[in-house]
Amino acid sequence: MKTAQAGRTTAAAQSRSRPVPRLLKQAAKRYDLYLMLLLPVAWYAVFHYGPLYGLQIAFKHFNPAKGIMGSDWAGFEHFERFFDSYYFWRLLWNTLSINLFSLLIAFPIPIFLALLINEIPSKAFGKWLQNITYLPHFISMVVIVGMLTLFLSPKGGPVNTLIETFGGEPIRFLESAGWFKTIFIGSNIWQNMGWQSIIYIAALAGVNPQLYEAAKMDGASRLRRIWHVSLPGIVPVIVILLILDIGHFMNIGFEKVLLMQNNLNLESSDVISTFVYTTGILKGEYSYTAAIGLFNSVINLALLLLVNRFARKTSETSLW
Amino acid sequence: MNNHWRTTTLSTVIALSLVLAGCSSNTNTDANSDANANGENKPKGEAAAGVSKTGFPIVAQPLVQKMFARIAPVNGPFKDMPVFQDYEKLSNVQADFTEVPTDGFQEKKNLLFASNELPDVLFRAGLTPLETIRYGTAGQLIPLEKLIDDYAPNFKKLMDQYPEIRSAITTPEGHIYSLPTVVTLGAARTDKKWINQAWLKKLNLKEPATTEDLYNVLVAFRDGDPNGNGKPDEIPMTARASGGPGLGLPVVAMMGGSFGLDNQLGYNINLTDGKVDIWMGSERNKELLQYLNKLYGEKLLDPEVFSHKEADYLAKQGSGNAGFFFDQTNNPFLEIADQYTGIAPPEGPHGDRIQSQGAPVPRDFGSFAITSVNKTPEAALRWVDYFYSDEGSTLLRFGREGEHYELKDGMPYYKEDFLKSGNQAKITPYAGGGAPHLISEKVASFINPPQVQEAQKKLDPYMPKVRYASPMFDEETARKVDVLRTDIDKYYEEQSTKFIAGAISFDKWDEFEATLAKLNIDELEQIYQTAYDAMQK
Amino acid sequence: MSKPTAVRRLSEERLFNAAVYAVAAVIIAIVLYPLLFVVSASFSDPAKVLAGEVWLLPKGVSVEAYTNILQNEKLWIGYRNSILYASVGTAINLIMTILAAYPLSRPDLPGRKTLMLFITLTMFFGGGLIPTYLLVKSLGMVDTMWALIVPGAISTYNLIVMRTYFQSSIPWELQEAALIDGCTNWRLLLNIILPLSKPIIAVMALFYAVGHWNSFFNALIYIRNESLYPLQLILREILMISQSDAIDGNVGLEDKILLAESIKYAVIIISSLPVWLMYPFMQRHFVKGVMIGSVKG
Repeated sequence: MKTAQAGRTTAAAQSRSRPVPRLLKQAAKRYDLYLMLLLPVAWYAVFHYGPLYGLQIAFKHFNPAKGIMGSDWAGFEHFERFFDSYYFWRLLWNTLSINLFSLLIAFPIPIFLALLINEIPSKAFGKWLQNITYLPHFISMVVIVGMLTLFLSPKGGPVNTLIETFGGEPIRFLESAGWFKTIFIGSNIWQNMGWQSIIYIAALAGVNPQLYEAAKMDGASRLRRIWHVSLPGIVPVIVILLILDIGHFMNIGFEKVLLMQNNLNLESSDVISTFVYTTGILKGEYSYTAAIGLFNSVINLALLLLVNRFARKTSETSLW
Repeated sequence: MNNHWRTTTLSTVIALSLVLAGCSSNTNTDANSDANANGENKPKGEAAAGVSKTGFPIVAQPLVQKMFARIAPVNGPFKDMPVFQDYEKLSNVQADFTEVPTDGFQEKKNLLFASNELPDVLFRAGLTPLETIRYGTAGQLIPLEKLIDDYAPNFKKLMDQYPEIRSAITTPEGHIYSLPTVVTLGAARTDKKWINQAWLKKLNLKEPATTEDLYNVLVAFRDGDPNGNGKPDEIPMTARASGGPGLGLPVVAMMGGSFGLDNQLGYNINLTDGKVDIWMGSERNKELLQYLNKLYGEKLLDPEVFSHKEADYLAKQGSGNAGFFFDQTNNPFLEIADQYTGIAPPEGPHGDRIQSQGAPVPRDFGSFAITSVNKTPEAALRWVDYFYSDEGSTLLRFGREGEHYELKDGMPYYKEDFLKSGNQAKITPYAGGGAPHLISEKVASFINPPQVQEAQKKLDPYMPKVRYASPMFDEETARKVDVLRTDIDKYYEEQSTKFIAGAISFDKWDEFEATLAKLNIDELEQIYQTAYDAMQK
Repeated sequence: MSKPTAVRRLSEERLFNAAVYAVAAVIIAIVLYPLLFVVSASFSDPAKVLAGEVWLLPKGVSVEAYTNILQNEKLWIGYRNSILYASVGTAINLIMTILAAYPLSRPDLPGRKTLMLFITLTMFFGGGLIPTYLLVKSLGMVDTMWALIVPGAISTYNLIVMRTYFQSSIPWELQEAALIDGCTNWRLLLNIILPLSKPIIAVMALFYAVGHWNSFFNALIYIRNESLYPLQLILREILMISQSDAIDGNVGLEDKILLAESIKYAVIIISSLPVWLMYPFMQRHFVKGVMIGSVKG
């Protein structure tokens, strides 16, 4: 590893000394590496950068017969319509609040789980627990929502059966706006806590055992060791994951929301991405929804940059 | 080993470059094949230039028409349907269907237009007026009004006979971009009000004549254990759930007539002395919702009325365990049909008694349309026109005489043994709704048996004189209507659901009214008024 | 003096361990209960499930639901399609991801920072559905399996994980030595790198395969022909939309609904089975692969 780093620094130093010709020579010598990259880079250009020109329909009255280029300009009309829309604030609130609550509740749980597994004395049992907890991650969204429907069903669903044995009235969970966010986030936790804990467990495995020994010598209790050794050991990972999470702040769980949505829970399940889908694809308002989508991306990117900068300042960890 | 790897490497590189070449030239070859596809159609189209105006075959040379069609879950493949097999032989027009399942159809239809990858024909497409105008104005759908005169004699006859068809499908500029399903049979345009007469009898009750009666009957259904199993498991009243946001709340439409709320111009509109009145924020609507709220709160109205799936709803009908519900035919509960009878709309607290729920003669809008890539629109139009005759409709709905149906007194009836096979819905594209054709008394033996006719007769006295279909707006107005209605309908349905379910109290009614006003419901009303005035001229 | 502290520490240790095991037991119960319930319900008499009598173990054991599924043709066509899409798709995913990840892991590749930026940027924005659809259409992929495979050929997140793995777990000096020996980069990749990267490849294969197996939205947009529908779309129909004809036969409607309810559980089991069967085999590599790959991501 040391030599590797040395190799890297010398290479860097050399390239700095006579930059351009050296670089070209280096590049030419490794033409086959570029050859490997050709297909993936072409794919990125075509499938990710290619469709970008389509963003302009947000500023146009998109007319399919005239094509994207030929459609008439609309200026900021679609954006204005969205900002003036009765549903603007509701959409924004739902989108942000679902993510905010997820961040507050669902984000710490895998960390807790990882710390717990790390503390289990029997390694075999720890592994077993780990394997069990990430089993649900591999269940498809369709099936998860199907399971929710069956579970929370007022007729024969175990949850309502339980409520009824205690003399309560069955609750129509999936048709209630009040329950939507709880169910959405709760089932996310159930599905993903084990999976997301893997990364933390890996990071914990990398914490220097001498630190624990030293803490033990100092007479620190188990809890104090977790607090003072384990947790600081994984803070960089936590920060990176936090930033990545926020990078997807505005469009989390679209498929799941769509599958769970109905008229009765719309008040809390109506989020920007599903709104884009229902008005855009189902009603054919392409330009309007492109504008909403663009607004969404811009907010998202702004959030990401903000958090990244904040993280770099406070914890010296950042995406770039 | 070395050599082995070299060859592998080499072949990988070659394979990759091939893939690459394939990738980059893909667009071109595709464009070519597109051109080819059009080219293929062309010679045939040209050869078939002489589309005969009457008689069969429609074209001398076989002609292929690419059709984009919706297929319902109950249907079998279109190519196996007798109607398309036999009609192809008769007409020389081969319908090449892309069969898209109902679930996901709306997405794919819109993407079809958005990407301008047009078929020749849209069959059973359920185009909305706005889509029709949008795609018509964009030039993707072609105007049919001139062609109809020459190539759609059956449809033209219907338009002359029922002027409301023409006004429902003609844009303000005078274009017709799509043909509807035409329903001259009154009973196929209303949902009957079915009540469990076996229960009435058992509990010694009369058919309810007023909303108050209805309430009492439902209470008796709930408490009187009319099914006699000792368990309070009866469903006193149920209704269809909403088909989705913007598609209306069936239970409100079914009961609105008792509170004087009509359904004109395809919207929540009352017409009085030529004045358009959108009644969503009205006092009468409040009373209606309060009434439904009372039923819901006392468990008289099925608690699943907003959420159950179509299949569940049909099953409830068939179970015999429902007291009062709404459907067009008795087909879902055929086995226990004797238990039920149709009733008239109950009279409301202000003496209102209209059958406000109901569809106009051009019942399903946008069933059929021809696109701009079609080289032989004349042939396509003549092809579909046959289904607007009794003869063609019989073929479409009943299949082959002797095999699937037999004639009694000149009327087609499905054969007993065919019905027993359970394949009725598989052989006809009418099952699942929305197919472009004529539904007249002549072809309705299955959906309009005596029991349904009786139930319809109960409704007839309370039908409005004319039921106006949705007016057609010009593109600008249509877009505005859509913007307004997107928000208004969503709000209205969501709030109504909550009022009925008791999720918000009626103290909030003022707020509800104020929000409707904020969503510019007055502007919407004005637009409908203008359109209605134009129709009257 | 030190003895009591040691004792106290020991009992504290015991207490703490007991608490750890207790919490672990609760977590296991929470995770496993829903899964066990679904399994039990799928083997139970549907009427008993609907009546809420089943809560952990099957009641009125019956395999009727499974025999009914066996006769559901649509489901099996979907099954076959999904297997096809997942295997072809995963193969393409792996090739593309390796081709991108390996060169980008090389410290001696000029311009790799720029290329990385070019690639990572795409994680945060996109052109939207319509332009993407137009592209897929113009490539002639609509209504073919390629529409489900090619537009998602690389997951950028997976690419980064893989690149990190190459960087951190295959010593650079080893590669350098091979290159000095005259090994070409292609041979280096095929002969040395890939055999050393089995864990990460296994993990990536699992990720991609599961992704293909579970996705439904692209098929909803791009696939028209029902005979090309993947399993998840058929599932959606059975689980969410509940078409009455999901099951055919001459039973009364009420029985049909009961049956539809009961097959739901069995359908869940059947559809998740392949993934769960793959899981134990991959699981071993898994922890190794993901851990090394993602931590430094």
